Amino acid sequence: MKHPGSFADARRDVAFPMTGAALLAAVLIVGGAVYSAAGGATADKLVTAMLIDAIMVVGLQIYIGNTGVFSFGHIGFAAVAGYAFAVLAIEPARKSTVIRNAPWGLNEVHLTPVQATAVASLVTLAAAVVVGWGLARSGAKSGSVSAAVITLALLFVTHELALNWTDLTGGDRAGLSFRIGNTLEGRTVIYAVLVAVIVVARLFAQSRIGRLAQAAREDNLAARAMGVNPVAGQVAALLLSVLVVAVAASLRVYDIGNITPKFFFFDYTLLTLVMLIVGGRNSVTGALSGVVIITAGRELTRRFASDGFEFFGASLDAPVVDWLLREGLTQIFLGAAMLGFMILRTNGLLGDWELDTWLWRRWRRRKPEERPEPLAEIAPVGLHVEVDREGAALEVHDLAVDFGGFRALDGAGLTVAPDEVVGLIGPNGAGKTTLVNVITGVVAPSAGWFKVGERELTSAPSHDIARAGLVRTFQNLRLFGALTVHQNVELAARVAAQHRPGNHPPVDALIAEAGLWDVRGRRARELDYGSARRLELARAAAMAPAYLLLDEPTSGMSDAESAEMIGRIRHMAAAVDAGVLVIDHDLNFITGISDRIYVLDQGQVISAGTPDEVQADPAVRAAYLGAESDAEGRA
Amino acid sequence: MLDIDGLTVRYGSISAVRGVSLSVPGGEVVGLIGPNGAGKTTLLNTVAGLLHPASGHVRLDGTDTTGYAPDRLLRLGVALVPEHRRLFTDLTVVENLRVGAATLPGRERSVMLDEIADLFEVLRHKWTTPAGYLSGGEAQQLAIARALMSRPRLLMMDEPSLGLAPVLVDVVFELIDQLRAQGRTLLVVEQNAARMLEVSDRAYVLRSGEMVASGSGAELARRSDLFETFVGSVVGDTEDAGP
Amino acid sequence: MTELAQNVIDGLGRGSIYALLALGIAVIFGVMHLLNFAHGELITVSGYVAYWVFSAGLNWYWIAPLVVLVSVGTALAIEQVAFRWVRGAADFTMLLTSFGVHFVVQAVFFMYVSASVRNFDRPRWITNTFDVGPVTIEVFDVVVVAVTALTLAATAAVLLRTMFGLSLRAAAEDFDAARLMGVKSDRVIRGAFALSGVLAGIAAIFWLMRAGQTTPSAGITPMLKGVLAALIGGLGSLRGAVLGGLLLGLAEVLLRSRLPDGIAGLTDGVVFVLIALLFIFRPGGLITVSRAERV
Repeated sequence: MKHPGSFADARRDVAFPMTGAALLAAVLIVGGAVYSAAGGATADKLVTAMLIDAIMVVGLQIYIGNTGVFSFGHIGFAAVAGYAFAVLAIEPARKSTVIRNAPWGLNEVHLTPVQATAVASLVTLAAAVVVGWGLARSGAKSGSVSAAVITLALLFVTHELALNWTDLTGGDRAGLSFRIGNTLEGRTVIYAVLVAVIVVARLFAQSRIGRLAQAAREDNLAARAMGVNPVAGQVAALLLSVLVVAVAASLRVYDIGNITPKFFFFDYTLLTLVMLIVGGRNSVTGALSGVVIITAGRELTRRFASDGFEFFGASLDAPVVDWLLREGLTQIFLGAAMLGFMILRTNGLLGDWELDTWLWRRWRRRKPEERPEPLAEIAPVGLHVEVDREGAALEVHDLAVDFGGFRALDGAGLTVAPDEVVGLIGPNGAGKTTLVNVITGVVAPSAGWFKVGERELTSAPSHDIARAGLVRTFQNLRLFGALTVHQNVELAARVAAQHRPGNHPPVDALIAEAGLWDVRGRRARELDYGSARRLELARAAAMAPAYLLLDEPTSGMSDAESAEMIGRIRHMAAAVDAGVLVIDHDLNFITGISDRIYVLDQGQVISAGTPDEVQADPAVRAAYLGAESDAEGRA
Repeated sequence: MLDIDGLTVRYGSISAVRGVSLSVPGGEVVGLIGPNGAGKTTLLNTVAGLLHPASGHVRLDGTDTTGYAPDRLLRLGVALVPEHRRLFTDLTVVENLRVGAATLPGRERSVMLDEIADLFEVLRHKWTTPAGYLSGGEAQQLAIARALMSRPRLLMMDEPSLGLAPVLVDVVFELIDQLRAQGRTLLVVEQNAARMLEVSDRAYVLRSGEMVASGSGAELARRSDLFETFVGSVVGDTEDAGP
Repeated sequence: MTELAQNVIDGLGRGSIYALLALGIAVIFGVMHLLNFAHGELITVSGYVAYWVFSAGLNWYWIAPLVVLVSVGTALAIEQVAFRWVRGAADFTMLLTSFGVHFVVQAVFFMYVSASVRNFDRPRWITNTFDVGPVTIEVFDVVVVAVTALTLAATAAVLLRTMFGLSLRAAAEDFDAARLMGVKSDRVIRGAFALSGVLAGIAAIFWLMRAGQTTPSAGITPMLKGVLAALIGGLGSLRGAVLGGLLLGLAEVLLRSRLPDGIAGLTDGVVFVLIALLFIFRPGGLITVSRAERV
């Protein structure tokens, strides 16, 4: 069995991301140093704040960017970490004036800043485990409103606690503060953390689990159909991002020297979210650009507000301008930035453009690469899966499905032998897609069961069914749009390497076989329709499935393209040693590809047999043309 | 009454309808048949103003109505019974009918309700039942009745027999017959080709977004190659110029 | 028993206002899938109008109708300036757009109107109470409950009896099908905003009468309560929103009087925890409007 790590391209997934991360950090650090050297104490403060915000926003990006689940609660986590840090790190003599009755004798505790950060991170991670469980339980996915509500609740609960648990937090009035001079000095620590955090964020995005999370972000249903359990990626991303946020929060408190309830609340949530959204939430480069743009924009508006408007030496000193530009302008700037980007450029300035990926592509282009041999040339020699599939037939029995009174399936059943290509046809509304939805765990049947070999899969979740070897494609194409052609196929291969026994088809050969070699670096959403269809097939084949379930693989294709798909599907299936169940309404295509055919009408199998038998069956004719015996006589 | 000229409709990179032309003369029942994915629904949705064509024209009595919004087309007399009926299931039968008359002045609405009540006896008994509780046949009748509420001159129906038991399919086709007898103009998309051809004055066959055959209902019904057209054979030499 | 009766009455008074806010939010979510975090701005704007009118020497008989008018106008203006450009966008894009509106409006008031608290007199009868047996009832609560009941009845009549109401309900269920029936999308969306403005205006009157003051961020709390109540009710459901508002009001009052003294101040926090739990176990809200996922 191949090791999952064997898919990692050390340059693409490690070396380049680390280089790119170092470059990004260097730009921020050097740029910041130059600005503070020129601008004195105010500029110094501004740059420090920006660098800490950068760490915080990258922390948010790790979760929101990779999973697509929007969290309003990360600043709530920051509040937990910030208070934990302050309570632990402030010297007892000072904090005892505010929180003399702190629980568990915490007013006597005094840790070093590093120890305090470590403990604060652990406490925050514990909170993240609870919230992560809640999010998983609620079925959070990209863009889900329930996740927004749960995380918003977290933000408010921490705020309420900060306000009311005065024994620990000092409440609204006093807050907790370090003695002046006892705070963070110099920026070396911030620099080190910033570099580390950007590197970690990029490595995570390129890692196996990061890719799985992104796949679920792009298309939750398709990811599950490829054997991905979305919860795993989400939980990993959440824990990592909360860890980063906790460290950033500790730094922020230590730098400024105090914490009050409003320190990590709505305003800071808005600020960090706008930074993330404006730059582009799906990329670390985007998140960091957002931090710079918003910091600069805020500083400019703040100056307009306090100093009036000066432009190339010409100042506008009209009272109207003074009246217009004043304190509060920065808030308007933030709100307007959010509004403007939502209306005009939802995915932010950079979308999902990533510095190191761009560098890597340029580097790759210089180096000519040999086109791999398509599967047709390699197969079947080295590719046959080693497991014994003897008798591992796909059996479907008596399925029934009701959609609010409409019976979509009414006792349908079929069997597919391990190396067979079986067609399933029927007119519109016959229940073909519903049948595939049932046997891939998308729709629960009200009666009936199905199994592969001895393994009953009737009530298994989608990703377990996929791992058991039933892998599907979708009628309406569900690719991971932001991922490249190569990444789409590779992702399935990675899941297969971990969960499917036996040998697996090489990713490059599958891409070549599907005729996609020249576009392998392109994002899936940029493909033309025919290529997208072939990619979906290659991605399914990369799972090394026991059975490929193809839902209308030729819909939207011309007759010539459909005819060409016959050879492609048969090749691909033979090479990965999979049985095939293919749905289509096109009898010509189905008879061309299938060994046996089932005909479905009104949720029941009305005919089954070889292509010739089915074509000659009057019941099939009636189902298609809709007439009973007289149509038969006429034809 | 309705003339479609060189209509092409795209979803992203897919052309669902490619250069289709057809015409529906006043007072006739025109059938539009073809297999799944042929582009029939797309065609009707475009005529009804839900989709915008990439090229081509839709004309109503000579006026170019391409790109008109649905409510404007309704005022001009074009109504659509959408695929899968799309009833407002939380609304009662009579409320569904009222929404169907959204473009009529208030007084005419009650007149139309009386007319519809006469035409659809089944519905009259269920006036205050939420549409979600209707049986399949009743629901389809309501969908058609709802579209009739706007007094359309051209009524389009998308797969009115879909998902209905055979007995109820009869009811739908009887209704089409009845509407034809009243002299209404109908453009009907149907998979149930044989039955549709029986009631059509003329019909068009669509496949993979292109028009592959046309003729009177009776002519097409005699064509032995129709079954192949439906289930997938490539139609080449049977192309018919049409009227 | 007496205490419970007292709680229920207080809770109904509080919950009525939440119900009005939640209904407005649910109406808009129904037609365009926008979870409107800018709903509270209607109360912010109304608050300043109340203050100005009061400063001009007019009393609540003038303020009340003006507040409703201004609230409707503001709702329509916000739709025109911001939301019409994101119609049909992803749910989350619209949600963040409403956040943007919220922050811009708040900042504009902060900058150009006043950052400090503005006070105005509350009607004199507002603190009056009367006793029914052992239970003390505030006149204000009675007025709130009665006016809310009337408002809800009128809203129900509009939704059930008028062509606009029918169109709105139809569009909330299936926007495209409603368009096919001749319902104009512009008209129904603007109508929904106007209706939400009326409901928020009435809620604003009560809110301001009780508070007697306003600030640029006065809208946040009522907005949150309204959003939460609408979420409890299942967002799309209008009945659910009203029910959610009443439940939220009752829950707050009950928690505040029953929680031990030390953590009574945490009532809002506990309510948030309860709502988070609700969403963890029933992501669709209490009254689930289920729509099958199309594959």
